[in-house]
Amino acid sequence: MTSTLEELDLDTTTRVAAEVPWQTVVWDDPVNLMTYVSYVFRSYFGFARDEAERLMLCVHTEGRAIVATGNREAMERHVQAMHGYGLQATVSRAEP
Amino acid sequence: MIVAGRSDGEGVRLVLETEEAMLLSELADQVDSVLLLGEVDDPALGRLLPNAYPEDHAASQEFERYTRDSLVDGKRQAAQRVRDATASHEGEGVVQIELDESEAWGWLTFLTDLRLILAERVGVIEEGDTESDETRDDYLRAAYEWAGFVQGSMLEVLDPISS
Repeated sequence: MTSTLEELDLDTTTRVAAEVPWQTVVWDDPVNLMTYVSYVFRSYFGFARDEAERLMLCVHTEGRAIVATGNREAMERHVQAMHGYGLQATVSRAEP
Repeated sequence: MIVAGRSDGEGVRLVLETEEAMLLSELADQVDSVLLLGEVDDPALGRLLPNAYPEDHAASQEFERYTRDSLVDGKRQAAQRVRDATASHEGEGVVQIELDESEAWGWLTFLTDLRLILAERVGVIEEGDTESDETRDDYLRAAYEWAGFVQGSMLEVLDPISS
């Protein structure tokens, strides 16, 4: 239990930028249904409906959205999960 | 095809015509084959297993080495479950399938992978000799639209407010 809690703490987005220089980016893909993308965001990240819809629309209109920020290992786990759902996702360094 | 809620409120219930079940079973088998054969130059596979680090070749290869097998396994399992659930229902009229939420996720991800492959295949055909492949192109397009309809209908049941 302890190790899980510690791991979760590392995932939080509240840490200062210098310590969390990595991002999970989801890219637009004309194949995926908007309702599906939004449902994935809510189910996997646990976002509230409004936040999931906002990020889904950001992907749709801007072409991409940063859906998570944190350490590199955590971002790679998120990207792997997104690929499992069939979403186009990449790991990148957060812009300073 | 009828997509409805289940009487206990969790998950989704599908009622397919025998022909629809056969089609889905065949498509699921094809998705499984694409993942099993896994030819490196198959662009459809690139849609299912995207590059996590497009600007960093070494990191990209490292990520692929650690994640590919598990991603392929998960996607193949989802495809195989759909194939098995829809296989061999000849002469039964309709095929009824009950899915709990976790099983429904397997179907949703399978339908996504199927559509990614079909979109890639139709795109490839458009660039080539369209005359001789017109029938196949129409078939792929119809399957693509139909898979989207099934997925959309499932989402309306699983996630009613956003639909």
